[in-house]
Amino acid sequence: MELMDKLEILADAAKYDASCASSGAPKRTSEGKDGIGATNGMGICHSYTPDGRCVSLLKILLTNFCVYDCQYCVNRRTSNVPRARFSVDEVVKLTVDFYLRNYIDGLFLSSGIIQSSDYTMEQLVAIARQLREVHHFRGYIHLKTIPDADPALIAAAGKYADRLSVNIELPTEGSIERLAPEKNVHTIKLAMGSIRRKLDEKAEEPRSPTFAPAGQSTQMIVGADASDDKTILSTAQTLYGSYKLKRVYYSAFSPIPQSPGTVPLAPPPMQREHRLYQADFLMRGYGFQAGELLPAAGNLALDIDPKLAWALSHREHFPLDLNMAEESMIARVPGIGLRNAKRLVELRRLRRIRYADLTRLRCSMKKIAPFIVTADYRPAADTTASEVLRRSMAEHSPRQLDLWAELQAA
Amino acid sequence: MSGSGAAATVAAGRPVLVHSFDEWRTAARDLLGHHVPPHAVQWISQKDGGDLFAHAEEPQGAPAVKRGSPTVRISRKLMDMLQTAACCRVPNRWAFLYLVLWRWQQGEHDVISPADEDGAKLTSMVKAVKREEHDMHAYIRFRERHEQAGPPRFVAWFEPGHDVLPQVAQHFAARMGRVTWMIATPEASVMWDGTTLHSTGPLMRGPEDIDDAGEALWLTYYRSIFNPARLNAELMHGHIPSRFWKNLPEGAIVPAMVTQAAAGARKVGQTRSVGERGGTVIPIAPDKAQPQRDTPSTLDACRRCELWQDATQAVPGVGPETAAIMLVGEQPGDQEDLAGEPFVGPAGQLLARAMQDAQVERGAIYLTNAVKHFKWEPRGKRRMHKTPAQREVEACSYWLDSELAQVQPKVIVALGSTALKAVTGNPHATLKDVLGKPFMHQGRWIVTVYHPSYILRVPGEDMKAQAFEVMVAGLREARQLGL
Ligand code: SF4
Repeated sequence: MELMDKLEILADAAKYDASCASSGAPKRTSEGKDGIGATNGMGICHSYTPDGRCVSLLKILLTNFCVYDCQYCVNRRTSNVPRARFSVDEVVKLTVDFYLRNYIDGLFLSSGIIQSSDYTMEQLVAIARQLREVHHFRGYIHLKTIPDADPALIAAAGKYADRLSVNIELPTEGSIERLAPEKNVHTIKLAMGSIRRKLDEKAEEPRSPTFAPAGQSTQMIVGADASDDKTILSTAQTLYGSYKLKRVYYSAFSPIPQSPGTVPLAPPPMQREHRLYQADFLMRGYGFQAGELLPAAGNLALDIDPKLAWALSHREHFPLDLNMAEESMIARVPGIGLRNAKRLVELRRLRRIRYADLTRLRCSMKKIAPFIVTADYRPAADTTASEVLRRSMAEHSPRQLDLWAELQAA
Repeated sequence: MSGSGAAATVAAGRPVLVHSFDEWRTAARDLLGHHVPPHAVQWISQKDGGDLFAHAEEPQGAPAVKRGSPTVRISRKLMDMLQTAACCRVPNRWAFLYLVLWRWQQGEHDVISPADEDGAKLTSMVKAVKREEHDMHAYIRFRERHEQAGPPRFVAWFEPGHDVLPQVAQHFAARMGRVTWMIATPEASVMWDGTTLHSTGPLMRGPEDIDDAGEALWLTYYRSIFNPARLNAELMHGHIPSRFWKNLPEGAIVPAMVTQAAAGARKVGQTRSVGERGGTVIPIAPDKAQPQRDTPSTLDACRRCELWQDATQAVPGVGPETAAIMLVGEQPGDQEDLAGEPFVGPAGQLLARAMQDAQVERGAIYLTNAVKHFKWEPRGKRRMHKTPAQREVEACSYWLDSELAQVQPKVIVALGSTALKAVTGNPHATLKDVLGKPFMHQGRWIVTVYHPSYILRVPGEDMKAQAFEVMVAGLREARQLGL
């Protein structure tokens, strides 16, 4: 099979993985050295496909042959898809060629399970090793870890990769048992735990050999099972706390060809995935707990963002005096982000904050107005009922939703 | 120095000519030194295109600041902002930068705050330049030339909106190692020969004539990694400004991809060309596909309470089944949860020290916990230990009881109150009544000491030492009772 054909099949097979970031690697340069590649810690999106998602890494599967039968996966053994397999050299060559043309910042490599977990993992490690040791490639490498693989192989992977990930895929043990019969929460957690221990060891012993400097991440598929957002966010919170993950990625389930009866025929609204990312960011960046965002079972609101939803149900904290409040509380005001909260506190040292300052900081005034007090402003209607506010602030562009509704009807 | 500085030029009624940030800086320094206010200066600059890398050296004969004039002290942050904003192609950039500098010098330090009017403009200039740099890092596309053509091996064409080529060239020098390349822009070109950057004026209209096979592979990749079920062209265009699309190879195939996806291909996520190929199922029996795993011990599978859910694994006791002494802690902690072994974290290390002092051999003792799964709650990004509830202790006593039945120790050392409650089966047992006072319970000695984490937490060195002593004494006692 031609390289081009393989690329077609194995990129197509890899697109259901949501992780793509290339940030977090230590600074590296190739200036005046053999080999290629540099990282500046920030990561770059080199293009965007018509689904609006960025291309920052060459995201491919080593092979889409797979002996597992995960129901949500297009590559499951019972799926009737064209199969292909790259050689180690082919993946290496593609990565280098694409990198030199500035299409990508590195490689994100994953694989179907062939022969055994250990065998599969060995192949992934071999590619990373060849890139690093033979080609002196200093770009970004993310390897998807096969959970059942020998911890020694995971340790080897961490030596070459910037980031490792173990996908949990589904938020509850029951769903994993049902939809991914060959997978097992226990071994997934053990693999994440073994990566965290290696990361901890490295942090304590800075001179020891590098180990996945950009940390570990995972992915959860949304809408392939009946779990609600509360369950998803709680699982994410548990994983962040237990395994110090850098990111949890959420991937709205996409309908797959010849879908088995165990998974839904239609995808969840894309807006749901978006809201989960927003909520996740509130947990990571703002210190929100999953239970604050969703006190009871259920899903996040689709019409308003989770921060606004939280503020509307916690009117007792508002209106907040921006000249007095703590930075962390200011950041909880809808329409004020982390950066602006910081800027306001900095400005406050020089003079009192006025309403016009917020306009210049490009805060969303419509959102912000009912929640703040400044030197020259106090909301007239700070008694307006939350329901009324909510209606006035709901996002009226559910184009995505219409699109999916039409699809579900079809 | 009369007659040579920018102040003298202004005094002579002439405009100040600058081409680069360093020239502006020299002039501005001189003007500030002479208290020349912004409105009195007229700045002009020629079309850019001179030596891109000139800013690496100070211009020859830069006039020193006049003796006795105030030294210009500006923060690093302002300096960086000015330098970056200077690359922004807006009319009157030099005059504006001087205005900012002047206001700063007058003590108006909020001039760099985006909430200030000039500060907002400065910030947006900085942002525009950074953005352009970023876009150029991201959206330059190199094409590979034929080997016989000689260096540069890769060439690219780009139309930057601001003066960012020098910085960007540095980025690619770091990225490409010894591989040679050239970037051409309408204003200037820069070439990397593997060790040094060279710059020239505008050279050519880009590498349109190069036939690069790598590009066909890229387009294939680009088509296949797109998920038609998620079509959202608006979002895509929102990310990449339209002026870049025309020079991106993928720009040419986007419209067709969007139309196809919109025309029904979005029902499945698969790319059409892949869907049309014949497929293969993998003939393997389900039981053959099942990975080899250790069968979970019954403890692993325990669901007597909810604690298993947020923990990594159950942590069973360790030690000889003939041990005379059994040490019972509360529950595994963060480290124990990951390692699957009791007492490996900081509390375990303290315990090890106490054992050493008491001359108790760790290997001769059976170590376990009252509760086998780690109970915790999130605090920021950490797992904070949470004391198990009575019902959890009760649920888990099933496992402790079976360990007791197996090991049959003569002495139990209860570490802290949860352990005491667990081993006595009395939810009201309190530490202070029995601390340091061994007692018999169901035919065994029970020695109670503090939990090592308590000793780690207790404030003050005195209190710590005291609590540690209680533990050492208790362990010594246990050793004697166990003889
Ligand atoms: S803590 Fe004890 S009772 Fe609860 S699940 Fe774990 S082993 Fe079972």
